[in-house]
Amino acid sequence: MSKIEKALNRAREAGLQVVPLTNAGTGAATGGSVVAYRGTNPETIPRMAMNEVRMLAPNDLEQRGMIRPQHAEDPVILAFRELRTKVIQQNPGQNAIILVTSVSQGCGGSFVARNLGAAFAFDVEKTALLIDCNLSNPSVHQLLRNASVPGLTDYLENPALDVEKIIHPLGIARFRLITAGKRRESPEELFTSGKMKQLMDTLRRRYRERFIVIDGPPMSKIADIRILSELADYVLVVACYARSTNTQITNCLNAISEKKLLGIVFNEEPRIPRIR
Amino acid sequence: MQLLPEQIAKALVNEIFHSRRMVVFIFVTVNALALTAGLLWPKLYTASTSILVDERTIIQPLMQGAAVATDALDRSRNAREIIFGRKIMDAILEYGGWLVSNPNVEERALLIDDIKKRTFVNTVGKNILRIEYKDEQPERAFRVTEKFAELFMQESIAAKGAESRAAFAFIEQQTQEYQEKLLRTEEALKELRSATLDTNFGSGGGEGEVTNRLNDLNRRIEATTQELREAEVKEASLERQVSGEADSTADILREGQFRARIGDLQSKLDTLRLSYHDTHPDIVQVKLQIKELTDRINAERTALEQKKRSGQPDESVVNNPIYQQLRREQSQNQGVIDALTARLAELQRQMQNELSRGKRMHSGDARLAELTRDYQINRDIYQDLLRRRENARVSMNMDRERQGLSFKIQEPASIPLTPIGFRFLHFVLGGLALGTFIPLALLFVRLQFDPRIRIGSTIAHTHKPLIMAVVPHLWSPAELKSLRLELVLLSLAVFVTFGTSVTLSALRYFKVM
Repeated sequence: MSKIEKALNRAREAGLQVVPLTNAGTGAATGGSVVAYRGTNPETIPRMAMNEVRMLAPNDLEQRGMIRPQHAEDPVILAFRELRTKVIQQNPGQNAIILVTSVSQGCGGSFVARNLGAAFAFDVEKTALLIDCNLSNPSVHQLLRNASVPGLTDYLENPALDVEKIIHPLGIARFRLITAGKRRESPEELFTSGKMKQLMDTLRRRYRERFIVIDGPPMSKIADIRILSELADYVLVVACYARSTNTQITNCLNAISEKKLLGIVFNEEPRIPRIR
Repeated sequence: MQLLPEQIAKALVNEIFHSRRMVVFIFVTVNALALTAGLLWPKLYTASTSILVDERTIIQPLMQGAAVATDALDRSRNAREIIFGRKIMDAILEYGGWLVSNPNVEERALLIDDIKKRTFVNTVGKNILRIEYKDEQPERAFRVTEKFAELFMQESIAAKGAESRAAFAFIEQQTQEYQEKLLRTEEALKELRSATLDTNFGSGGGEGEVTNRLNDLNRRIEATTQELREAEVKEASLERQVSGEADSTADILREGQFRARIGDLQSKLDTLRLSYHDTHPDIVQVKLQIKELTDRINAERTALEQKKRSGQPDESVVNNPIYQQLRREQSQNQGVIDALTARLAELQRQMQNELSRGKRMHSGDARLAELTRDYQINRDIYQDLLRRRENARVSMNMDRERQGLSFKIQEPASIPLTPIGFRFLHFVLGGLALGTFIPLALLFVRLQFDPRIRIGSTIAHTHKPLIMAVVPHLWSPAELKSLRLELVLLSLAVFVTFGTSVTLSALRYFKVM
């Protein structure tokens, strides 16, 4: 079992070039805990092999706005690493459910959510789970080759569906996701259901090193945000360049309880890329 | 929140990159507009000439104060009116070749307006007149300017000659008028003098003399009156003496004597009666005596009355030497009275004469003063006009000989070589500068006033959570590819714009275009 796991891990990390970077990024301190982490997740390995065909190639992921650990000096990656560190510092030694919402539609809330998840996953001691709760405008399924896999709404409506069936890998080590599932008209009712709360509890308790990132709707859907923030430990507000005003941000922050408010991420700052 | 300069600079760079298409679009548009404007901007050539308006010729010191040379400064001020007058403008239209196309009246008016707009007349310094003219053709600019100066000088001299001729004619006419007036006044004076010769006014102290004479006459009248009254009193006195009263006195005297004797006789009678009867002869005698005396008194009285009635003095009286003396005195006195009365009448007549003469003299004086005043004023003006007429004649002659006002071309017009105003290069440089500056300024303004956040740290500090992270844009490979293409295109647009500007400038510089 452990041999297969090692081989698979090695093969994937060679393909993704995860290992040398993770090692370089986290340093010698985390190097020793790799074995321990692997030991805690023995049942993930066969599932990974099973899902291999569903995953997108790393270049496609990059095309869809995912950061890649290879570009370690990229300011975007540096920004997300810093964000990740700050989140971990908020509650050291424990995992957390983080709701990411944007000030307005199009501010890049989903982008921040998925890359925050990826940043958690870069740390070999952490895993990450991205849940798409933006039911009216879902985007997480784009990260999968097959978009029609069962998702959150399917799970909440279908009692027969097992939790395992909706958690999908996407080709980045220690990173899973739950898509939105089929479209639903009234998402609030789903989020207020007991099953949703139960699901969140289950997911949180299952792995203590798993950080759950909820890709929430924008702040304009304030009812959804209130319900989802009940389920989450922290709320992260995404403002963006040349679109959000101070007034908008202030209104958003007032709508979120101060205890849960983690902070603001200022997204989409223009950057002149280095063109080869 | 106050931004630091480097924050603003960074934000501005970000903004330029963010709005790169807008920046390039404005740059290209502004440059295109500037180039178009530069190509269409008319080339104007300006030619100018200065005319020295000089009045200080050699003749002037000689004629100082006598002849009035027309003021040069006024000439300069009027120059505009002269040059833009119909006469010169028509000549210029013909000379400049504008009449070749045979324009109608309206077109001519438009052409003239156009030329006026491009002509500037001003004075430089005290008496230098500068004429400047702009035209699209350098050669025509030169010729028209030259012609303007020439026509202006001709016109000015002609106008000045006409002016001095008119001035002379006017003064001449005035002189004649005043001469006539003067003659009329002289005539009137002569008449007045001959009409009032007796009053002897005008010889000084006429009024005083009359007053003196009047006073003298008054005095004499008073004296004469006094004398007359005295003589009359004397006359009355003499009359009384001569007439009855003196006689009566003598008569009364005689009557008294009689009465005294009667009294004596009465007392004698009374005494006798004491001793005798009335029949006593003594008493009878005394009674007879008394009766006789009484009869005598009565006779006396009757005679007196008769005498009075007849007025005839008594012979005795007449023969009285005193009476005769009185009569002599009386007649003498009568003569005096007559003389005095005649004198008084004469004096009063003289007085009347003198009074009427005084009145006449007063009215004559007023008239004389009036006439004299008129005469003096007219004479003064006439003399002044005579002087002026001679001045005007000299001025007119000066103008005829062209000695008064002289014009000299100080700086002749020349053919302009370079056009004035904005040149093509200015437009090119302005376009490049504005094309760069306008988008930058717009972006800067947007950065300052747009409430949408462009710098993470400007998010308000009112809330506890601050910026957790500033995430730059993540360039996906596809985006990078299209960005590369876009940047190439934008650069190409900028280079093409720049190249066009440079090429056109070069072509202009080498006069290919």
